[in-house]
Amino acid sequence: MTSPVRSEGSSLPTKPPRFLLTLPTIGPDLSPAPLPDFVTDTREGRYGAFDAIAEVGRAAEVTGFDGIVAPFTSDAEESLVVVAGLLRDSRWIHGVAGFHPALGTPVYAAKLSASLQRFTGDRFGWWPVVDLPPEVARAYGDFLEGPDRYARADEFLTIAKGVWDHEDYTYEGRFFQVLAGGFQGPLAERRFPTVHLSGISADALDLSAKHADVHVFDVTDDLDALTADLAERAAERGRTVASGLRLTVVAREDEDEARGVRDVPDHALVGSFEQVAAELQGYADRGVNTFVLEPAPHIEEIYRLGELLLPLFLREHAHVD
Amino acid sequence: MSIDIYWRIGTHGDQSSLRRRLVSRGDWSPVEPGSITPGLRGGRPDGYTHLDHMADVARSTELSGFVGGLLPSFPFTDDPWAAAASLARETTTYRFMIAFQPGFLHPVQAARMSASLQRATGGRVVYNIISGGGGPAQLWWGDKVGHDDRYARTSEFLDVLKAVWYGGPVTHKGRFYQVEGAGLPERLAGQPFPEVFFSGSSQAAIQAAGRHADYYLSWLEPFPALAAKFDQVREHSAAIGRSPRFAVRIDVLARETEDEAWAEIRRGWRHVDPEQLRGPESTGDSVGWLRSSQFIDWPVRTPRELEASPNVWGGFHLLRGGPAFGLVGSYSQVAARLDELIALGVDAFILAGVPHLEEARRVGEHVLPLLRGRWPDTAPDTSLPTLEAKGLTR
Repeated sequence: MTSPVRSEGSSLPTKPPRFLLTLPTIGPDLSPAPLPDFVTDTREGRYGAFDAIAEVGRAAEVTGFDGIVAPFTSDAEESLVVVAGLLRDSRWIHGVAGFHPALGTPVYAAKLSASLQRFTGDRFGWWPVVDLPPEVARAYGDFLEGPDRYARADEFLTIAKGVWDHEDYTYEGRFFQVLAGGFQGPLAERRFPTVHLSGISADALDLSAKHADVHVFDVTDDLDALTADLAERAAERGRTVASGLRLTVVAREDEDEARGVRDVPDHALVGSFEQVAAELQGYADRGVNTFVLEPAPHIEEIYRLGELLLPLFLREHAHVD
Repeated sequence: MSIDIYWRIGTHGDQSSLRRRLVSRGDWSPVEPGSITPGLRGGRPDGYTHLDHMADVARSTELSGFVGGLLPSFPFTDDPWAAAASLARETTTYRFMIAFQPGFLHPVQAARMSASLQRATGGRVVYNIISGGGGPAQLWWGDKVGHDDRYARTSEFLDVLKAVWYGGPVTHKGRFYQVEGAGLPERLAGQPFPEVFFSGSSQAAIQAAGRHADYYLSWLEPFPALAAKFDQVREHSAAIGRSPRFAVRIDVLARETEDEAWAEIRRGWRHVDPEQLRGPESTGDSVGWLRSSQFIDWPVRTPRELEASPNVWGGFHLLRGGPAFGLVGSYSQVAARLDELIALGVDAFILAGVPHLEEARRVGEHVLPLLRGRWPDTAPDTSLPTLEAKGLTR
């Protein structure tokens, strides 16, 4: 087994990249195929969509993934409910919930999150989704458009972090406010959820420069230019922001087998485990530390990637150490 | 219609008994030898959290014959949505009564969370809609809306939530909420709507309750006051063609004998701050709180001075955080009082006791089996003084 090919002149990263899985909280995978009438079926009424989701969470947990993402999409299961359940059922994986940053008040979002951090040992993460299609936003009661949405997201994150970090916190904003707020006692002792953000507009990069821990790009983005731009904006605020990359991988024993896989989306990384690992390592060398794998993989795919792709990175780093 | 009996889950830790104010379960007090969830093993935290204790209480509650429990929400507590979503798959029949204030979540978000939680639990979500006690706590939450307006908002919130729940797309332009084309995704639609337990003692609350409550929920008060309050709700509800059921939230301290029960209170009483015996001070605009403080002739010196009527004791707030009134007595006395409340028209109870885990087992074992229900000989004593006579109507 060969290690991923390292591009020349790159420095060794100190840690292996994080691998997150996007959960199938939508789609037909959640319902198992029905049995013919004459076959005894003991499942009736006993299992539902959350059993299928729990299976995915368990698979991610035991195969060594770093976490799962419950995306914010309008036809999916509600992400906070999904993530809370999966984290309760696991020890290691982190759970990132996508949500609309006007789902409620920032104080309430922070409060609910403080409990989840307490329950899970700081394994809960946020992915506020700012740039929604207007018709989706309006169905959530959000009639803002353009830069105002980023101003509101900024306030949302500022207040959420404010009440998290301060015992006596007051903020009068355009969209939200809090007077003499702030968490106390054990609610104040956990880490703020890891903040994931995305988008390539100047407003999106500025929001990330100020608030994101990880900014997630797409494979079609001009990664080097955007990461440099984001790094500069963040540096002005004395911060650094890690880069993430959202992508689909189709990895099999050899390239031919991978190319034979049906329904491969555009821009997917396709090839043998070694080839895919090398491509991912190429991204890691360009500063990507978090890979968000999508679309929703089947259980079989999670096991396949966990057993045969992830070890290539772990071995690499075992050598470094 | 059968009586639904719930048992609260403490969302801010628990004491080992009413004898000691120390919150030694959960990490609201420093973790030391004797602490539970987290506890110490070899001097280090054992990795358990308050959620593990809540899970144990929920399982004990299920086994002891309760249908579920209230998960309260205050600035210093853990969050009920987070707890319910976390415990959904670790319980079988336990109904999660989630306390929440409509102002803090958008109704479309609340609809989605509820629908997913219904799917995760098999329809075990119940709402305790609270509209807030006002004062600094309300501003702590980031909510500046005034008392009566909060009930107007609650009412609009539930209108939007139900409209979204029962079929979209919903377009609504109201005072507090505006949505366009809102609805649940197909896979989330069609779940049973959570039963609504509605709290609030003011006129604004009672009017909003008439419109939205499946159960009108009150703290325990001396029975005539409670009966008068229920009558008001019945009247408002009847005017708009509704008939809510009634629920009472009651702390219980029940023992084999009456003497044992009061002895337990006296042990806790030794640690009560004498300042608190002069009378309560409110910082909010809660009418329920104001009412409950008026049933006692403050100041007091001994526990029994807080017994507003037989077994109805108004001093629980001195021994643990929370409302003042509960029942103290022998198993049979407490059961008899609960039967009287059933006769007054109560359809559901939210009982609680400290410590929640052991007391759930005790009450399930010794009190609930004694209940007789709506028997003729437990009809309410109408000779008791009316609320008006005590000057308590507002």
